Amino acid sequence: MSKDVIVTQNVSKTYGKPPLQVFALRNTNLHIKQGDYIAIIGPSGSGKSTLMNLLGCLDKPTTGNIFIDGNDVSTLNENELARIRREKIGFIFQKYNLIPTLNALENVELSMGFAGVDSQTRTKKAKQLLELVELSKRLTHKPSELSGGEQQRVAIARALANNPSIILADEPTGNVDTKSGDNIMRILEDVNKKGETIIVVTHNMAIAQRAKRVLRIQDGEVQEEHA
Amino acid sequence: MLRDHVKLAFKNLRHRLSRSLLTLLGIAIGIMAIISLLALGEGMQQAVTGELSSLSDVIIVSTGGGGFSSFGGGGSTSTGEYFTQRDIAGIERLQGIKEVSTQLSGFGLAEYNGKTTVLSLTGMEVSVMKLQYASQNLEAGGFLNEGEQNKIMIGNSIAHDTFDADISVGGRIKINGEKFFVSGIFGKQGFGGTSSDSIVLMNSRDFQKLTGQSNISLIYLRVYNVNDAESIATTIQTTINGNHGKKDFATATTMTSILKTVQNIIGILQLVLVGIASIALVVASIGIMNTMLTSVMERTREIGIMKAIGATTRDIMSIFIIEGVLMSGVGGIIGIILGVFGSQALTLILGSFMSMGGGSSFQLVPIITITSVVLAIAVSLIVGVLSSLYPAWRAARMSPIEAVRYE
Repeated sequence: MSKDVIVTQNVSKTYGKPPLQVFALRNTNLHIKQGDYIAIIGPSGSGKSTLMNLLGCLDKPTTGNIFIDGNDVSTLNENELARIRREKIGFIFQKYNLIPTLNALENVELSMGFAGVDSQTRTKKAKQLLELVELSKRLTHKPSELSGGEQQRVAIARALANNPSIILADEPTGNVDTKSGDNIMRILEDVNKKGETIIVVTHNMAIAQRAKRVLRIQDGEVQEEHA
Repeated sequence: MLRDHVKLAFKNLRHRLSRSLLTLLGIAIGIMAIISLLALGEGMQQAVTGELSSLSDVIIVSTGGGGFSSFGGGGSTSTGEYFTQRDIAGIERLQGIKEVSTQLSGFGLAEYNGKTTVLSLTGMEVSVMKLQYASQNLEAGGFLNEGEQNKIMIGNSIAHDTFDADISVGGRIKINGEKFFVSGIFGKQGFGGTSSDSIVLMNSRDFQKLTGQSNISLIYLRVYNVNDAESIATTIQTTINGNHGKKDFATATTMTSILKTVQNIIGILQLVLVGIASIALVVASIGIMNTMLTSVMERTREIGIMKAIGATTRDIMSIFIIEGVLMSGVGGIIGIILGVFGSQALTLILGSFMSMGGGSSFQLVPIITITSVVLAIAVSLIVGVLSSLYPAWRAARMSPIEAVRYE
């Protein structure tokens, strides 16, 4: 039995004050295990992004606790959250979100830089990761010189750079064609097979059905979808 | 880590090259102004100090309570009363005095080329003459030599304006019927303090022989020890005033006190000029702040991404502050280089101004000191930090969620 990487206990996120309070997320209790491959689905405005932001330590819950690798992150300050994001979490965004002034290699190295990895180790690791996502020939290309699919693969390499416990992918195939999308999912699944925990937020049912577990959010409530 | 921040900041600046260059130009101009004005001021200080400090053992005693206003002239009495031999004897009796000499004043009837006119004559020891007029350039000829008789030096307007024809070196003027040869002609002074334009200089012996008078209008003396100059000056003043029974008949001025006054004036002038130049720097720093704030707005998304992948508040602050410091630092260095040229140009302009007002041998050379360079670098770095602090804080405070969502 593998251990839990993420546990949420009665996590709620509200916006505004009573009586105008809006629940974005309601009493969520989740257990996500090491090596899980989870898809989170739900209509727009259902609370998907809120859940992503909470799991990614970009935001703090209004009530309840979130444990990542056993650390209660609901009590951490801004800089400690930054450390958790750096060490435990790899983000992949729908719009790739690479730094436009940096080339592929430098983008992958960036998060290792923030983690204080020395420059030699960094470059070596970044090259390995870019090889993994089949971009060895594109190391010095700027994001503007790469296709959408290529940019997203750079983003995957960047997400993996600090050996995170969890990969959080928000609509990773939303902006690329079907073939590139399939390629991206295949890479993520390869990574998952090596033991990485993958959480994918998506609208696309075809993508969702590739996951081992599917969580559906409706009106801020999370339910397990049983295949 | 810091190296990475510098690299990132540098890339960002290069990405917005023309904007960065324009911002940096603002700093460069401000620093240039400060460097060149400091160099000019320093040049003035040193020129004046150099010229006056060689005379630091000199005391000048003049009549009238107003004091010796300007170097290189003066000496006519407003009261019509002159120093007496008793005064001179009194001074010579004092301790620590190396030599005493006098300047005699009087009038004579001069004739040249058929025209006759009254001129004021000045007689002094040749050595004093050389000392007193050392700072003035000569248009032609040279100073009198020790022991030479019937030679004079004349001011520029006497040579060119007083008589119908110009007088040149070697020219012969009759004064009170006696023949004198022109040995040197002073350059034009214009309106710079007491004018030597209408002076006729001869040695004391010729003066006395010619006029039969010895009206002493100025006394020059040198002391052995510069440190005693002030106290000796006070004693002389008291003694002479006592001789004449007046409270403010004589004024004894040391070169050191003149030097101090001049230095103070130049110092204040310099401060005012640098203060004005600093306005350029303030404007430039507002420019940096403006550019950086725009940059923060444009890079909202980028900042969010960096935070999402683990950048701390400190990382973001540091990147932006380094950007500001890089801009102002490079601007500062360019400013220093421009300042070196700027000060030369300024000197040329000022120099041509001065020669328009009348030629002077006073050579102004801009001096750029290590202190002013270090100061300029420090100031530009401080400006960089201060003006990027607020934009950096704005950037660091951004919430990663909103920043990532920002379109």
